[in-house]
Amino acid sequence: MYFAGIDIGSTMTKIVIMDDEINAQVIGPTGAEHRHLANKVMEEALSKAGIAFDELTYVVATGYGRINVPFADKQITEITCHAKGVSSIFPSARTVIDIGGQDAKGIKIAGGKVVNFVMNDKCAAGTGRFLEVIADALGLKLKEMGELSLHSKEKVRISSTCTIFAEQEVVSKIADGVPIEDILAGLHEAIASRVFHMAEKMKIEKDVAMTGGVAKNVGMVKALEDQLGFPVLIAREPLLTGAIGAAILGKELVIKALEKGEAIEKGARLLEAASFFK
Amino acid sequence: MSSKGLAKAEDIYANRAGRVRELKAEGKKIMGYVCAYPPLEMVTAMDYAPIRVIGSMDQPITKADTQVASIICPMLRSMLDLGMKGKADFFEGFIGAHTCDCTEKFCHLYQYNVQFPYYHFLDVPHIAHKASFGFMKAGFQLFQKTLEAHTGRKLDPDRLKEEVKKHNAQRALVRELYALRKQDPPLLSGSENLQIMLSLLSIPIEEGSGMLKDIIAEVKARKDGPKKKAARLLLWGSPLTETSIIDMIESLNANVVMDDICTGTRHFWHDVEMTSDPLDGLAKRYLDDLKCPRTFRETTSSFEEDQEVRFGYIKDYAKEWNVNGVILQSMKYCDTHGYEVPAIKAYFDRLGIPSLYLEHEYTMVALAPLKTRVEAFIEMIS
Repeated sequence: MYFAGIDIGSTMTKIVIMDDEINAQVIGPTGAEHRHLANKVMEEALSKAGIAFDELTYVVATGYGRINVPFADKQITEITCHAKGVSSIFPSARTVIDIGGQDAKGIKIAGGKVVNFVMNDKCAAGTGRFLEVIADALGLKLKEMGELSLHSKEKVRISSTCTIFAEQEVVSKIADGVPIEDILAGLHEAIASRVFHMAEKMKIEKDVAMTGGVAKNVGMVKALEDQLGFPVLIAREPLLTGAIGAAILGKELVIKALEKGEAIEKGARLLEAASFFK
Repeated sequence: MSSKGLAKAEDIYANRAGRVRELKAEGKKIMGYVCAYPPLEMVTAMDYAPIRVIGSMDQPITKADTQVASIICPMLRSMLDLGMKGKADFFEGFIGAHTCDCTEKFCHLYQYNVQFPYYHFLDVPHIAHKASFGFMKAGFQLFQKTLEAHTGRKLDPDRLKEEVKKHNAQRALVRELYALRKQDPPLLSGSENLQIMLSLLSIPIEEGSGMLKDIIAEVKARKDGPKKKAARLLLWGSPLTETSIIDMIESLNANVVMDDICTGTRHFWHDVEMTSDPLDGLAKRYLDDLKCPRTFRETTSSFEEDQEVRFGYIKDYAKEWNVNGVILQSMKYCDTHGYEVPAIKAYFDRLGIPSLYLEHEYTMVALAPLKTRVEAFIEMIS
């Protein structure tokens, strides 16, 4: 039996197809012109896995775009899916810190289940979007930022948490002649501090796993570890934990239904473009 | 107004001002008031229909921005805005009250901008301890004097006792209505309930009680009530003047079966004790029985004991209505509720009842990020 998890985030769409292990995974942009194309990403994943759409026993959609996926059987929030995905990769994890393109969240796990969670409010501070804005202001590629920040000798303090004000603060630091790596180290510290204190509301417990696109930024990882005082666990592909969790939750639902001899509730299963404007 | 029961509540909710204008045209004298603290028994004893001044989550705030900054309570800003736009012109008088600090200043600005023929500002002590009751009663006596001066007639103590009975009768009906949500599934949705409560705050007491009797009979007999859902939730927090947030919660796998908000239980729950001087019973009811975070309770020897004194009644709600989760909600910039959250959250943690804190913008839109949180919370508790 094959199961698919599709995680439509604000920036990236992630799909995993698995039976007992992962058969195929695809990561593509969600951007305005792509958000209708979740079906294309699915087709790519199916062709990688070498199976037909009908061979998927169950499809679970998650992420902020989960609602309008016409080929999913069920929608589950990214909070539940991340917890499940992380638990499957790191059974020792008790806390997940997920920083994506649009939001940051902390999740507490016990026995593979969510017991508490926090999310940032409707604001870009402390998210991947914040880093994108600053990369633009500094004329850097997003990928370069983390590595560059590690060369800082004297990081500056960024006091604004608002993305727009922080951008202005960065511009004024450049004008003051502060080295870019010191500015970057300061920025990473500011985001890490914001996310750490948000997650600390639910009292962070070891082990801590970091997920989401921002976990690929070595500068952010270091800044968060500095806040925590210990190292974090990072999956080989930290973007995929939500999609993996979604696929596993689908598999668990199906197995439970089969054991009880109940029918599996399926969706309409139309392999069409997802609509965000219904 | 021709509709009855639930349909009537829906009609009034959809157009509060419409019903108030009708009443005025019928010759009723209308008295506006803020919060749940003005003693409405005294208002009806002087033959006024008390109508609560509330804001609108639906209408953009524009005129009020010429007076106040945007970093203050959005509900009060909205109330000021509507007043400045002539939408409170049916009030013959306005009773302000020192409930939260922002409301106090709002009342002053509201009267200054709208200019009601009668205005009384009620001082309400901030801590419910022994000395406060005499103060509260003295405040009511002062209120009586200004009412009498404005109307040119005396407040009859026997009439006031009759009014206490009439208001208590409505409170009993409200409790009877809430009891219909103890079963699973509840017979009434949280959204329907809020519509009814908001309607009650917009019509005279007798009319409201008549509507409640019709609704109770209708709801007991209905077959189209809410479906059984995974979560039975209690909703706590700042006032809700529209159903949007409860609609959002109930569009998910949850029923809101109980509340602790002032456009809900807080306003209606407690009877006034019949005392030989009715003002004694009124002072006790409005200062002590009415529980809102704007009133602090005297501290005791431990944090846990304080929590019990302040929130014990919500624990009883949670047990009696058999809830498996609590939504703590506050509109942005509500210090009164925001500062209460750590203690109340810790209290529910200690009781083993999961709770979720939501902060909203006091608008009917942009609820999607909150929806994900509520959805994840329901997944977590079910």
